[in-house]
Amino acid sequence: MQETFDVIVVGGGHAGSEAALAAARMGAETLLVTQNIETLGQMSCNPAIGGIGKSHLVREIDALGGVMAEAADAAGIHFRVLNARKGPAVRATRAQTDRQLYKQFIRARLENQPKLRIFQQSVDDLIVEGDRVVGVVTQMQQRFMARSVILTVGTFLGGIIHVGLNQQSGGRAGDSASNRLADRLRELPFSVGRLKTGTPPRVDARSVDFTTLTPQPGDQPTPKMSFWSADGCHPDQVPCYITHTTEKTHDIIRAGLDRSPLYSGVIDGIGPRYCPSIEDKIVRFSDKTSHQIFIEPEGLSTHELYPNGISTSLPYDVQVDLLRSIPGFESAHITRPGYAIEYDYFEPKELKSSLETKHLNGLFFAGQINGTTGYEEAGAQGILAGINAVLQARGDPAWSPARSEAYIGVLVDDLITLGTLEPYRMFTSRAEYRLILRQDNADQRLCATARTFGLLTDEQFQAFEIKQEAIESLKGEVKSALVFAGNAAVDAVLSEPMHKEYRLSELIKRPEVNLPDLLVAAGRPLPDLDVIEQVEIEFKYQGYIDRQTQEISRLKAQQGLAIPLDLDYSSISGLSNEVRQKLAQVKPENIGQAGRISGVTPAAVSLLLVHLKRKGGPAKRVATI
Amino acid sequence: MLRASLKTHPEPNTSDAPATIVAEATPSGHAGISVVRLSGASARPIAQSIVGPISTPRQAYFRSFKTSGDAVFDQGVVLYFQAPNSFTGEDVVEFQGHGGPIVVSTLIQTCVEMGARMARPGEFSERAFLNDKMDLVQLEGVADLIASASEQAAKSALGSLTGIFSKAVKALVTSVIELRIYIEASIDFPEEEIDFLAEPFVLERTTMIDAELRQILKQAEQGRRLQAGFSIALVGSPNAGKSSVLNRFSGQDSAIVTAIPGTTRDVIREQLLLDGYPIQIADTAGIREAADAIEQEGIARSRQTALMADLCLWIIDVTALDLTLPNLSRSVLEQNLDAARAGLFEDDTVSKRLVVLNKMDLLPDLMQRDLSELLAGDPHIFMVSAKTGLGWDHLVLGIKRMVGVGDDSESLFSARTRHIVALTEAAQYLAQAKKSLLAGLPGELVAEDLKQVQVALGEITGQVTSDDLLGKIFSSFCIGK
Repeated sequence: MQETFDVIVVGGGHAGSEAALAAARMGAETLLVTQNIETLGQMSCNPAIGGIGKSHLVREIDALGGVMAEAADAAGIHFRVLNARKGPAVRATRAQTDRQLYKQFIRARLENQPKLRIFQQSVDDLIVEGDRVVGVVTQMQQRFMARSVILTVGTFLGGIIHVGLNQQSGGRAGDSASNRLADRLRELPFSVGRLKTGTPPRVDARSVDFTTLTPQPGDQPTPKMSFWSADGCHPDQVPCYITHTTEKTHDIIRAGLDRSPLYSGVIDGIGPRYCPSIEDKIVRFSDKTSHQIFIEPEGLSTHELYPNGISTSLPYDVQVDLLRSIPGFESAHITRPGYAIEYDYFEPKELKSSLETKHLNGLFFAGQINGTTGYEEAGAQGILAGINAVLQARGDPAWSPARSEAYIGVLVDDLITLGTLEPYRMFTSRAEYRLILRQDNADQRLCATARTFGLLTDEQFQAFEIKQEAIESLKGEVKSALVFAGNAAVDAVLSEPMHKEYRLSELIKRPEVNLPDLLVAAGRPLPDLDVIEQVEIEFKYQGYIDRQTQEISRLKAQQGLAIPLDLDYSSISGLSNEVRQKLAQVKPENIGQAGRISGVTPAAVSLLLVHLKRKGGPAKRVATI
Repeated sequence: MLRASLKTHPEPNTSDAPATIVAEATPSGHAGISVVRLSGASARPIAQSIVGPISTPRQAYFRSFKTSGDAVFDQGVVLYFQAPNSFTGEDVVEFQGHGGPIVVSTLIQTCVEMGARMARPGEFSERAFLNDKMDLVQLEGVADLIASASEQAAKSALGSLTGIFSKAVKALVTSVIELRIYIEASIDFPEEEIDFLAEPFVLERTTMIDAELRQILKQAEQGRRLQAGFSIALVGSPNAGKSSVLNRFSGQDSAIVTAIPGTTRDVIREQLLLDGYPIQIADTAGIREAADAIEQEGIARSRQTALMADLCLWIIDVTALDLTLPNLSRSVLEQNLDAARAGLFEDDTVSKRLVVLNKMDLLPDLMQRDLSELLAGDPHIFMVSAKTGLGWDHLVLGIKRMVGVGDDSESLFSARTRHIVALTEAAQYLAQAKKSLLAGLPGELVAEDLKQVQVALGEITGQVTSDDLLGKIFSSFCIGK
């Protein structure tokens, strides 16, 4: 028996779930193959969704009809808005989530998604015909055929778990690694690297003295992550806590370094610089006498705590000692030891912007397999791979948002153009058009596209359109409405009397004035706050936004020229050997991407343009940059 | 007020077209007229903001050129070519102004202020090519031109970026990066107990960098004016006619010319244009064994000036040489020169030197002809008369050849203009950052302004990527949960 699908997704983590759901929403016959149905939507690391740069990705996934934001709303037990005062573009939302609720939400969504089938079994092999992947083979030699296959295997490829100098094979604590598939993939022409990541020990809350910890309550009113979640979508809210390491903690860690797999040379994989283990922090910043630890509840129905900030692979006895040297944790009981995990990843420069591999047609990679870290980064790639797997199965052109359209575009372009040597995490500083890529306008940036792909329901798109109309109408009002001198309420908002009439659009540009106050003072009706927010940002940031928009359209026109994948770079006269090699390695899809490869100069880009023109007459311009 | 429109981009908004570019189209330093070409969709509006309305394509308008501050800096002919009937296939405006790098650079800078950017080497040809304005025969040349012109530009940029200027710019870039590390860290890691945006030192540092940048810009502008060209030292025996030579260069009596040896006791400097290219000429005291203390001091300065100059012109009174016919030969001349040099300077201490046989008009006609024959094609010895102008053009050509002026590639001078354009842009964004800080605007806007400062300075020192910056953040702060 051999079944055929449009799309097969291997793996049911954050990338796999989004990929499978997106493909099925687009109407493709989709199969999700997972090692274990119980771990669909599992949060392997900290129980939180969002944060700086990350909630931007979540909102984009949400605008494309993905599940992550809604799951975070349904499972979130502590919400905070970060960077509230630093401006709307860098403002971010983070939710501490109940692991069980999160997992349940994802699983329910997967199980109820039409056109999506789930199958529990390890995938051991890919079926390759010529330069094309046409299916997968499971552990029991069951073959499933498909037009496209998405691998979202996380840290499971050749995964090795380290606790002290002990090591064992595994994809995550409690789950086995996918070694047969890893061996098979190593036979294919992909460049493989090793990365490392880690988790802290988990602790039983009943053994912790909370009276000495600093509570950190969630924000009120509780913010929502999703554009689509209804009011009252959140479960009960609980506080987080903050504590600190002590000098004693640091002494214990230093004394245990000889049994650290990191410092005894057992681990070769490269860990993330922005998420170092506690032993790394103490070695690299030895003059710092204390480090912050965030105590995060794992859920409403469990006593387990996640002490964020002491990820470690030190031996278990050292973990116990170091934990008990921390205020509040003097008699802490560890429920699960912390560990480091090393795993295979594939050089993302060998991917197209659709996340299809350049070596094998029909094969897509998404998530940690591409060298990223984080649920949000994984989910973002998952949804993009899911969309493109369907587009390819249909024979439609691939789609990937530009760097100026979405953080998803920044993420993918960075990966495929620059590659990565450490686990890649999103930061807002990676986005050159940061002021435009805000979490509050992800819907304006992506919903229309999502609709054309069939990713949004009618209700979702209607809600989007109603909001857009309200925004346009308020914009018109702000532009045209006049306020006359002698209006005491308006004078109070401005903190000075007006001597002549002004338009609201002029007054709103004053830094100290906010739109809701101004509308009330001017006697205007107040629409929804998220509508007001859009209009306010648009007027207040107009100068900045106009400049970025101009730059973007200029770049699009200039850089959108497509480059054939099989271009022979050695035939281009004038290029240095170094530049030739770099171009040949990345095989950029268009002129814009070529220019972003490190070491490729503007002159080299000119030579490339001239060459393309000579080869094929006017090359075709593509929409993305 | 919250406004980021640092440049007044003239309408219409042509946002999806490639940037409008500007550069000098004639080789730097040619005499008389220099052509500055502006190409792109905004070419006409930009030009109109400098010279007033130009409506008819291919019609010559005689206009005054004005800066953005409405100051007239030149007059000349303006031509507008409407796309696609132009060199590049885009809207093109050509300014034919008076030669001279200062005028050219002011014009280019004004265009940049109005929204153009300086063209990369070979970019006009590149556009012409991409817009089907070049035939197949010219194709190969375009690639070569781009490759060689960028190489030359890189060399010139390096040449321009030397000494104190370079040090100051690099120090400035380091300060900007440090400030950005704090600000971006505050934004991307708000929970790390490092909220620097709120601290007064951000404003202090911004103010400090602002002052530094303005100082550098001032120096760079002055430097450009003073060192725009090359320096020439006139050396020679007393009364060899150095001052007459200087006067021939400058066209006015700036040094006292008398028949009494030792008239010029100090170094006289003259700033002037040679075929439109600025040069600084130093007339030195005649070098001889002097008893007079004042004159000795003058002579010491002369030697120093000769050593520092880009080029030495050794002026010789040709009538003082023993060039008796019919024995005149190359070796006789060399012997004469060696004898004349004795006591003047050591030959190897001066890097570039031209011998100028002055007062040729005083030689008998026959001897002039014989000397001409003997020296035909010699690039280092010239026969002139400063008094009558005899052989002058030939000497000027020789000087230009020696200092490398007049080739088509990007000159040192335009590299400097590029740097000033970049510094000016950086200064504008920095002023905006300071304003945003003072007005208490959201940190992300300050961050954006500072990023633009960095991008502008990156045109001089190379760009800093977001990944470079993150790397510096991770190595400066202990970040991460």
